[in-house]
Amino acid sequence: MKTVDTRGLTCPAPLIKTRQGLVEAASGEDVEILIDNPASLSNVKRYLTDNRMDFTVREEGSLSVITVRRGESEPDANETEYCTPEKAPVAAGGRKTVVAVTSDRMGSGDDELGTKLMVSFFRTLVLLEPAPAAVVFYNAGVKMAMDDSPVLDHIRELSEKGTAIYLCTTCINHFGIRDRLPAGSFSDMYQILNVLKDADHIIRP
Amino acid sequence: MTTTVNGPAGFDLLSTVETGGCSAKIPPRQLEELLQDMPLPADPRILVDIATHDDAGVYKINDETALVITTDFFPPVVSDGYEFGLIAATNSISDVYAMGGTPLVALNIMMFPSTRIPMEVYKEILRGGHDKAREAGVSIIGGHTIDDYPPKYGLAVIGTVHPGRVITNAGVREGDELILTKPLGTGIILAGHRMKMTIPSQLENAVSIMKQLNARGAELMQKYSVRGATDITGFGLAGHALKMARGSGVTVNIDMKSVPLLDCVYSLADQGCIPGAAFRNLDYTEGGTRFTSDLDYNLKMIAHDAQTSGGLLMAVAPEKSRELLKELHESGHGEAAVIGKAIRKAEADLVLQ
Repeated sequence: MKTVDTRGLTCPAPLIKTRQGLVEAASGEDVEILIDNPASLSNVKRYLTDNRMDFTVREEGSLSVITVRRGESEPDANETEYCTPEKAPVAAGGRKTVVAVTSDRMGSGDDELGTKLMVSFFRTLVLLEPAPAAVVFYNAGVKMAMDDSPVLDHIRELSEKGTAIYLCTTCINHFGIRDRLPAGSFSDMYQILNVLKDADHIIRP
Repeated sequence: MTTTVNGPAGFDLLSTVETGGCSAKIPPRQLEELLQDMPLPADPRILVDIATHDDAGVYKINDETALVITTDFFPPVVSDGYEFGLIAATNSISDVYAMGGTPLVALNIMMFPSTRIPMEVYKEILRGGHDKAREAGVSIIGGHTIDDYPPKYGLAVIGTVHPGRVITNAGVREGDELILTKPLGTGIILAGHRMKMTIPSQLENAVSIMKQLNARGAELMQKYSVRGATDITGFGLAGHALKMARGSGVTVNIDMKSVPLLDCVYSLADQGCIPGAAFRNLDYTEGGTRFTSDLDYNLKMIAHDAQTSGGLLMAVAPEKSRELLKELHESGHGEAAVIGKAIRKAEADLVLQ
């Protein structure tokens, strides 16, 4: 028997602790949940009912004790991390190429040439088969996704093909261009790092 | 990062709302019961009243102009006074946009405990409200404050709309596609922040969504002759979609897998971080809603998550939806998506799949 004590906690903490307790319990083990606030009691009961889990409720004065048995399959026990960012999408063919755009120019030496090359890179990238799983933009690379970027249409085309577009939020704030990014999703370092970690190949123009 | 630190007076506004996200709004089912016996005023100049559960009232002045009138206020959703002011004003003004109108003037509505919180915080909240109003082209021309704890802030807003171009909950037509302009999940993220389950950028992302005006969405609705829309706020996507379906006499079908979500929302819901308001919204919708058997439980609860300053849910003729979506994507609503369709009225007013 495992006990989850939510006394004194307000919504949604009792539900979170209930979920956590069920994840940690062994299959078939009983979990006892102590709840002393009526709103949370009603929410937790509703949650268990909707997830088709059998439970009993015992009243002890203002305290309610819910007893529920952890099922064989539910809930998944592998999701204890907080805020696990979604993994980069990987199509059936196993395409796990990720492109890291770290600058608004390709290569170093001549800036004008570098800009031209970057445009050309994107024009060619949309032709790549299979399309990359994700394109990650950071540092000055985020400027390539701005509303006046010559490659914005290519980025959109990639996005329509199912390529995830990640933009570094810190970089966006640094350049003050938050309102000028019509495509892609704002991402933090944790998410960017996970996308890069899960890649089979990383292309860095 | 302004979203995670306290204001200049060093005061954390979230410390004033100890009950969590559960209690800011009267449960929708209870509200509907309370209002049902209230006599509706009979005046042909009233174009929209609460009969269709709309976002604002609309009153016709002459053949060219109708007034859009609305108010909304709530307790702090973030720690910083200035940010709270920005969000509350965005949310209040949004009701005018949801009716297809142009906001013009507003009054401040403030409840503030003069002896318990530094008065600098009061000024910060107002400054946020005024800055956002200015961005929307709205002049704040007065207001009212009473001494109360915890603080609450919002605006009463007046806008105008052409009487023939009012956009309401009742204007959805069979066959229309439904576009949602902002990602969903602000209630869950705010609760997650309270529970210390989010990282700063996730809260920051939600805050930037909450303080984004629905101005451009309103303009585009007029351009594409949208007649049915609402903004997604306290009753959640499901609650507002249900009101829209009932107001229009259609069935609304929403595919939750195509609904844009704020980063981390799914994972938070999966860990049980589901605010009480979502359960109360579910109490309200389940009478008129069919949940398909393969609907994911977390997505079902996310559909009921109370939104603060959420996006517009607009019903557009299918041949125009692609073009409208493209323009939304180009105007700062990069995550706008088609999330469902209005079909001939069936047994359930709302289908969530």
